[in-house]
Amino acid sequence: MSTPPKPPARHQLGVVGRYALLVATAALSLAPLAWMLLSAFKPGAEIITDPFRFRVSTMTLDNFRAMLETVPLEIGFRNTAIVVLGKGLLTMLFCPLAGYAFAKYEFPGKRLLFGTVLITLMLPTLVLLVPLLLEMSELGWVNSFPALILPGAIDAFGVFWMRQIVASIPDELLDAGRMDGCGDLRLFRSIVLPVIRPGLAALAVLTFINIYNDFVWPVVVATDPEYQTLQVMLSSLSQTITANQLGADWASVWGQLLAASTVAAVPVFVIFVLLQRHLIKGVMAGSLKG
Amino acid sequence: MVTAPARAEGATPPARRRRRRPPLAPYLFVAPFLLIFLGFGLYPMAFALQLSFTNWRGAGALEWIGLDNYIYLLTSEDFWGSLANSGVLWLLVIPGQVIVALAIAVALVKARLRNLFIAALVAPFVTPLVAMAQVWIVLFDRDFGAVNLGLRDLGLPAIGWLTDPALAKPTLALLVLWRTTGYAVILLLAGLQSIPSQVYEAARLDGAGAWTQFWRITLPLVMRTVSFYVVIGTLTVFQLFAEPYVVTDGGPFNSTRTAGLYLYDHITNSDLGLGSANSFLLVVMVFALSLASVRILRSREDG
Repeated sequence: MSTPPKPPARHQLGVVGRYALLVATAALSLAPLAWMLLSAFKPGAEIITDPFRFRVSTMTLDNFRAMLETVPLEIGFRNTAIVVLGKGLLTMLFCPLAGYAFAKYEFPGKRLLFGTVLITLMLPTLVLLVPLLLEMSELGWVNSFPALILPGAIDAFGVFWMRQIVASIPDELLDAGRMDGCGDLRLFRSIVLPVIRPGLAALAVLTFINIYNDFVWPVVVATDPEYQTLQVMLSSLSQTITANQLGADWASVWGQLLAASTVAAVPVFVIFVLLQRHLIKGVMAGSLKG
Repeated sequence: MVTAPARAEGATPPARRRRRRPPLAPYLFVAPFLLIFLGFGLYPMAFALQLSFTNWRGAGALEWIGLDNYIYLLTSEDFWGSLANSGVLWLLVIPGQVIVALAIAVALVKARLRNLFIAALVAPFVTPLVAMAQVWIVLFDRDFGAVNLGLRDLGLPAIGWLTDPALAKPTLALLVLWRTTGYAVILLLAGLQSIPSQVYEAARLDGAGAWTQFWRITLPLVMRTVSFYVVIGTLTVFQLFAEPYVVTDGGPFNSTRTAGLYLYDHITNSDLGLGSANSFLLVVMVFALSLASVRILRSREDG
C-alpha cells in the first residue's frame, strides 16, 4: 500500500490561506459593483439612510425613470455606438491585414515600418492630447465623428498582436494556396482569416471594451452634447440633473447617478459574461509585449 | 540602411518564398496603419514640438519664445506639484499592488474554480471607469456616503475621504487599485504559467520546500513579467485623468491635481504652447521612471 506523503499541517494552512485570499479579493472586487447595481433600484432616500439594506419590497425603477426624463442618454448611446462601429471596424479590418504583411512578407522598409509600430506602442496617449486637438481644430473636426473615430483607429497593439498570431501559420499552407493561384488578398481572406479567428475574437472583445470605455480623448474633442459619447455624458451627469430638475435633492440625484452608471455598465457586463474567455486571452496576450 | 538587412533576410535559403512580382501587396496592407500613424501620430507630434517653443494660444501667428515654456514649467510649483501628486499616487498604488497581485496569482495557479475567481477579479477592469468614479463619489461622501454611514453604525466618527487633502489621494488610489489589480493578476498569472514544471520538479527532488521554491524559482523567473507590469502601471498612474477629473476635479486644495489633470488645465486655458511643452516633459519623465524601475527590478532578476 503506497501511502501518499502525509500532508504537513503547514501545507493545510497554506491551502486555507490561499482560498481565503482568493475569496476575499474576489468579494472586494465585486462588492462595489453589486452595491451600485442594487442601490440603483432603491428609493433615493434609502440610499443615504440605509445604504447596506436591500429590500425587495421597496425596489423601484423611479431612479431610471427620473434620469431618462432629463438626461438624453439615448444620444450618448447612439454616439458611442457610432464610434464603436467605426473605430472597431477599422481596427478589426486593418490590424490583421498589417499583421499579415509584417508576419509573412519580406519587403524593403519592413524593419523601419515595424519600428514605427513598436514606437507607437510605447507612446503615452496623453502626449498626443494637445497636438491632436490642435489638428482637429485646424481640420474643423472638433465635435465631429471623424475626430472621435480616426485618431487611434488601427491601434499598434492590435497590429503587433495579429502579427504574432499570423506568424504561427505554417508557410506551407500559404504556399499551397499560392500554387492554387490565390492572389495576396485571396490568401488573406480564405486562409489567414479563418485560421486566426480565435485571435480575432479576442481582439474584438478587447477593442469593444476599450472603445466603449474610452474617456480622455472624447471628453477633450466632443464638447457639444450632440457628439458626446456615453462616458462623457456620464461624467457630467450630476450637473445635468441638478440643472434640469429644480429642487432635486441629493438623494434623488445619487439614485439617478447610480441608475445611469448601471445602464452604462450593462453592455460591457453582457459582453464580459458571454465572451470572458476571449477577453482574458486578449489581456494575457498583452504580456507578450514584454 | 534599414532596408539592407531586410533584403539579406529575404535572401536566406530557409525562407523559400519565390518573388515573382514586385511586392506591392504588403505595402498596401500596411498602408492604412501607416496613414493613421503619419496623420494622427507623427504629424501632430512634430507640430506640437514646434509649438512647445512658442506662446501660441490657439490663434494668430506663431511667436518663437525659445525655451521659455520649458523653463516656466521646470520652475513652476504647479508643475512639480502635479508631478508630486502623481508620484505619491504611484507609491500608494504600484508597490503594494504588485505584491498583492503576485500573491493572488500564485494562489490562483493551482486553485479550483480558477476561472470564476479570475472573472470576479477582472470585472472591475472592464467596468466603465466613469461609472465607477461616480459610484466612488457616492460611496465616499463625507455626510451621506455609504462608507461613513457604515462607520457611524460601528460608532466611529465620519471621515472626509474626499474633502480632507491628506485622504483624497488614498481614496483615489483605492479606486485605481480596485480597477487595475485584476489586470495585474492576469498578466502575472500568464508569467507564472510560462515557468516550465520541470524546474519545480527538479527543485523538489533537491528537497526544496514551498518557500524555497518561491524565492529561488518563482520570483526570479516571474521578474520579467513584474517589470513589464510596473512599466504599464507607471504609464497608467502618470496618465491618470478620468478618476481625478470625475471624482475630485483635482481638489481639495489641488491635492489630487495629477500630471494628467494639470496638462488638461492648459487646454482649458488655451495655453497650447505651454501644454505642448508639458506633454514632452511628461513623456521624458514617464520614460525615465519606467526605465529606472525596470533597471531596479532586472538587477534583482540576475541576483
